Amino acid sequence: MHVDYWKEVTGSNLGKTGLIIIGLITALAVSAPLLTPYDPHEKTNTEAFSTPSKDHWLGTNDVRQDIWTRLLYGARTSLAVGFGVAVLSTFLSVLIGGTAAIFGGAYDRLWMRVVDAIIAVPSVIVIILVATYLRPNAALIILLLSLLNWPGGARIIRAQTLSLKERMHVSAARTFGASWSHILLRHIIPDLGPILIAMMIQDARRAVFMEAGLSFLGISDPSMISWGKMMQFARAYIYLDVWMWWLLPAGVALSLTLIGLSLTGFSLETGLDPRLREEKNSAGSR
Amino acid sequence: MLEIKDLKVAYNGMGVLNGVDLSLAKGEVLAVIGESGAGKTTLGLSIMGLLDGCSGKILLDGRNILTLGEEEHRKIRGKDMAMVFQNVEDALDPVYKISDQIEEAILVHEGDAAAQKVIDLLRSVGLPAEKGASHPHELSGGEKQRVLIAMALANDPQVLILDEPTASLDAITKAKMIKLLKEVARKKIVLVATHDIPTATKLTDRMAVLYAGRIVEMGQTADLVEIPRHPYTRGLLRSSLNMTTTKDLQGIPGRMVHGIKGCPFHLRCTQRIGRCAHEVPVLEDVGGRQIACHRGGIVPLLEVNDLKRRFGSVRAVDGVSFTLYEGETLALVGESGSGKTTLAKMVIGLIEPDGGEVRLEGDAVGRRTKEFYERVQMIYQNPKESISHRMNVLEAVEEPLVVQNAGCGKLERAKVVLEDVELPGDGPFLKKYPHQLSGGEAQRVAIARALILGPKLLVADEPTSALDASVQAKILKLLLNLQERRGLTMLFITHDIALARKVSDRMAVMLDGKIIEEGPTNEVITSPVHRYTRRLIETAPDLSNELASF
Repeated sequence: MHVDYWKEVTGSNLGKTGLIIIGLITALAVSAPLLTPYDPHEKTNTEAFSTPSKDHWLGTNDVRQDIWTRLLYGARTSLAVGFGVAVLSTFLSVLIGGTAAIFGGAYDRLWMRVVDAIIAVPSVIVIILVATYLRPNAALIILLLSLLNWPGGARIIRAQTLSLKERMHVSAARTFGASWSHILLRHIIPDLGPILIAMMIQDARRAVFMEAGLSFLGISDPSMISWGKMMQFARAYIYLDVWMWWLLPAGVALSLTLIGLSLTGFSLETGLDPRLREEKNSAGSR
Repeated sequence: MLEIKDLKVAYNGMGVLNGVDLSLAKGEVLAVIGESGAGKTTLGLSIMGLLDGCSGKILLDGRNILTLGEEEHRKIRGKDMAMVFQNVEDALDPVYKISDQIEEAILVHEGDAAAQKVIDLLRSVGLPAEKGASHPHELSGGEKQRVLIAMALANDPQVLILDEPTASLDAITKAKMIKLLKEVARKKIVLVATHDIPTATKLTDRMAVLYAGRIVEMGQTADLVEIPRHPYTRGLLRSSLNMTTTKDLQGIPGRMVHGIKGCPFHLRCTQRIGRCAHEVPVLEDVGGRQIACHRGGIVPLLEVNDLKRRFGSVRAVDGVSFTLYEGETLALVGESGSGKTTLAKMVIGLIEPDGGEVRLEGDAVGRRTKEFYERVQMIYQNPKESISHRMNVLEAVEEPLVVQNAGCGKLERAKVVLEDVELPGDGPFLKKYPHQLSGGEAQRVAIARALILGPKLLVADEPTSALDASVQAKILKLLLNLQERRGLTMLFITHDIALARKVSDRMAVMLDGKIIEEGPTNEVITSPVHRYTRRLIETAPDLSNELASF
């Protein structure tokens, strides 16, 4: 049975809301230079802690930087990390989960024990420790988060592949002499499509949150503009009114991104899970 | 004793007989079979000395009759050897009475003695004496044939050559004629030239298969007909109408061409190798049979030795061995759970065996390589599932080429195989997805993709059991046609013995992981040995309204 997943997401109000939020934030991040005349790293000539005005929509911070500009560029970091981790960790999940299922045997057992081991490790602590030691930039953050994130996905992919590889068209491909890469790319991954997208959204959500958290704890490249870091700096001036246009917007932006991703993911899962579909359909017919 | 050594005959430089060696003792009846144009009649005529331009030797009791002058020849003809010509209608003169025509053939007797001899002869061929007064147009075809035989027997020759003695006779007349000829043939050297294999089988002890002026196979008639060993002999048998063979008729691809280099049959042969195009194979003794083939006759393509596989405590396949010859269909018949599919999957390499070996063209097969899958392909029970639902027809058919990195020309090759399976090779059909195809179309696409690599062996696992009857019939026809054209060897797995009967040359019945009975399909069907086989046959679909008893 074919399910049109795009329709599934856009057909529900939650899914639509999620997509709109993510689309909006992405648009803002991409067109950041058009929306602000300032450089996020440079100080402006306006004095510190100025209130929102026509020149500075969200005022300025303690070092005379334009907060709106930093909010826009912060979205870039969040989305880049989210997207990067989603792609990289899903890639690892498919590669390892998929090949483990196709090859089976000792190879499978070995990788599944590795997966168990990584899942057993409390990832936040590992990241804090490793990141403190390496003082990572954005790329390293993506790599670190991906390396700790793929095992969950790998389990799902392995389970799905085990069932897909028993399909007759996979047997047929094997009897043409197909290599594992052909089977994975042409026969398994296309059928995993929606699951992969759901996984990527999950991964992205977790990564955006983790990046903000790490930045908030100060574990990141100081030159990197991030919502987490904005909140960390703003927190020091919580007794001034500045939190309203410094701390709050960053918090709201982060929350919106997470909500947008969650809603999209949720509506996609509703489409994927036959039980949830049924509930929805019967509710609709009532 | 008639011996023929390296007999060559050419008409206008065109070789019709290209070196025939034969040896016939007294009392021996030899059939020379082959298609029209193979040189059967020419062989008869040259023995009779009716042809110029023969070279080699024809020795009758040690005397080379090819070197005799016309006068000496004439003495031998009729007295020592006689021929019954084909075309009964033309062989008798319409204006003379039958008795006169027979009398003409009698050389030694005169007067009343001759008249009495004519009556004896007529009686000996089963005609009443009164028939002698008839003119040819008053006789039926069978009666004319009898008259011709009477003429041939007039001088009690030691060599009798029968050229298509039963052609154009109806079945009952034919049966009577065969009986007569069998009596006549006693204590004579008889050579029967015919394309009618059933008649030849009844009439003769030995059979020689003539192709483009060469003998390609020779042996005891019964053996040769049961297990033909030369691809041409098998082709002839498959295209011969008879009540024994249960498989559908199949022809031989191409047509006979005289005077080509190498093995005369190589252009039509499906197991030819490079050597066949250059060298003429000599007739050699191969296991009690004389075969002229560089490959020693039909080659064993797939050999399975003692193959075993367990699933837990279940012995799915428990020591199975069989040999599958090139261009042949072996049906594996058995109920669900008898291990047929497991066996097929072990052959193709989808399941690893616990023990035993699989040999392909003599080489043991271990790890399945891409090269192996160029030669062995499989089609499945459910065609729609065997094609990825994300691939359209073209992508599905091209997939094997993509897997094998076949490079360019994929589209052309895909079109060719699609046309081979009688599907459109272009237009909107190529863009259809499996769920848009009918069951029959989908199975044709599945067959096309199995054929695109040009395999020698096709493993067909219940290829038609998911299709309805009329579509099933068409798919089976298609498979038989493909077998004829490409020399495809098939391992055909089915639970339906009625189906197996129609498509297979040989049949193996499986029960609980073992082959309990194996043999030529007609023998298994008509005289099953194992109780289980008998039950399968009793419960097989037929159109009577009696219930099977067991």
